[in-house]
Amino acid sequence: MDTLLKPTLYTPDGALLGGRCPCGHVFFPMQGHGCEVCGRHGADLKPMTLAGRGKLLSSTVVHLHADKARTAPFTVGKIALADGPVVRTLLVDTVQQIAPGTEMATALVPVGIGDDGTTILDLRFRPER
Amino acid sequence: MARTLKDLRPVYVVGVGWHRYQNPSDTPYVTLGVTAIREALADARIAWPSVESAYVATALLGMASGRPMLRHLGATGIPLSHVENASASGSTAFRQACIEVAGGLVDVSLAVGVDKRNPVRRDNTGMDNLAEDAIAQFTHFSLLTNEYAYRHKVSFEDIARVAVKNHRNGARNRNAQRQQERSLDEVLGGKKVAGSLTALQCTPVGEGAAAAIVASEDGIKQLGIDPNRAIRVIGSTARSERVYAAGLGFDAVLTKETTAVALQEAQVSPQDLDIIELHDAFTVEELHYIENIGLCPEGQGVHLLKEGALDIGGRCAVNPSGGLIAMGHPIGPTGIGQIGEITLQLRGEAGTRQHPNARTGLAHMVGVGAVCYVHLLQRP
Repeated sequence: MDTLLKPTLYTPDGALLGGRCPCGHVFFPMQGHGCEVCGRHGADLKPMTLAGRGKLLSSTVVHLHADKARTAPFTVGKIALADGPVVRTLLVDTVQQIAPGTEMATALVPVGIGDDGTTILDLRFRPER
Repeated sequence: MARTLKDLRPVYVVGVGWHRYQNPSDTPYVTLGVTAIREALADARIAWPSVESAYVATALLGMASGRPMLRHLGATGIPLSHVENASASGSTAFRQACIEVAGGLVDVSLAVGVDKRNPVRRDNTGMDNLAEDAIAQFTHFSLLTNEYAYRHKVSFEDIARVAVKNHRNGARNRNAQRQQERSLDEVLGGKKVAGSLTALQCTPVGEGAAAAIVASEDGIKQLGIDPNRAIRVIGSTARSERVYAAGLGFDAVLTKETTAVALQEAQVSPQDLDIIELHDAFTVEELHYIENIGLCPEGQGVHLLKEGALDIGGRCAVNPSGGLIAMGHPIGPTGIGQIGEITLQLRGEAGTRQHPNARTGLAHMVGVGAVCYVHLLQRP
């Protein structure tokens, strides 16, 4: 049995936990503070599971990073999800350059072992197979 | 009906001053701040008791840092406000001082920015995120650099030329943090931070101070200030980020929106601009912003850069101070320092950095949030 590092943000099968406003705006992550487009809030905003797929807008290899919890080098990408929102997060490490426009998909990768001995998984993106 | 700054009383920059931007040191912020203010007072040739209100811009000093500094000029009891607006803190303080004078509440006001390189603290919003901790500012701008290079088929070497120009300008500025010319090889050969970005293509955040004193025509007359050295603020516009289509860079789009309003209100066209001081914390930003200010179509900025059109003495001097890359970016002072540089340029007092016949200047700042501030200055 594996554990998700951030279970409020994604599901075990790599879908993203976003939301939708009656005005049509789709956002990530789910929140009830209020819609960035129209200001509706609370129960007006409904959870919406977003497909873990999108197009790469840009990526970059980070050579230096102050936070010791993240060891450089690592690769960061900006992905326009098929459902609308743009997310920025880590890519599964790769040596090859990924061209903007490449179809990307989520992947859950092991990032550590929990106190109970389970594997902790975190979400990344990688080129869709 | 809402009015613009130009509809109110004319407001002028009458005094500017700095404490040099520098690497973090033991110098207390009080020393940094009062040095800049005293230089601005001397520049205006007025005394501190003539100043009727003060706006202190600082992002990293913590609560209520202004009075412990200003009291050493003589505690005159004037109203004092602190302004925090990320990188645009100084620009925001300047705008507030201009509005207070233009609105007729006071005749002379001070905007001063001062900061030390303390840790940035931002409270959490109650929302989690995937990996924002992995995305430093330079990583954000490295993503934009890669997008720009790919979309416009521009080389990373050409983007890095922004840093060569701005170091050349900074080398002639006694208030710049980096005062050394750098070749393209030196810029490209430095420590890599993310993607193609090297250390010399990134602003060195340090410490320092900048001050600007603004006055009305009544104030200028009463205090005997030389009207020929007074530079009019003909426009002040501020906006914040909206929701943009996926793939649009919010920094660039917000710059375009804000500048368009500022230029329209002041009835100035991009071709009228002799001087631009803009937020070049990272090289690619200068290209984004000159294009969105309207100097050239999108993707064409490198051509202007390579033909020298953005140099001092070119079509429009962009970041003659050295910009954030060479002058530095101590946060609170930065936007006010831009106003100071434009004031020197429009007076013809910029020395070896002087751009010939400069009449109209634009100051541009973006701040994390995001916010954008644009000021337009013109000599009489």
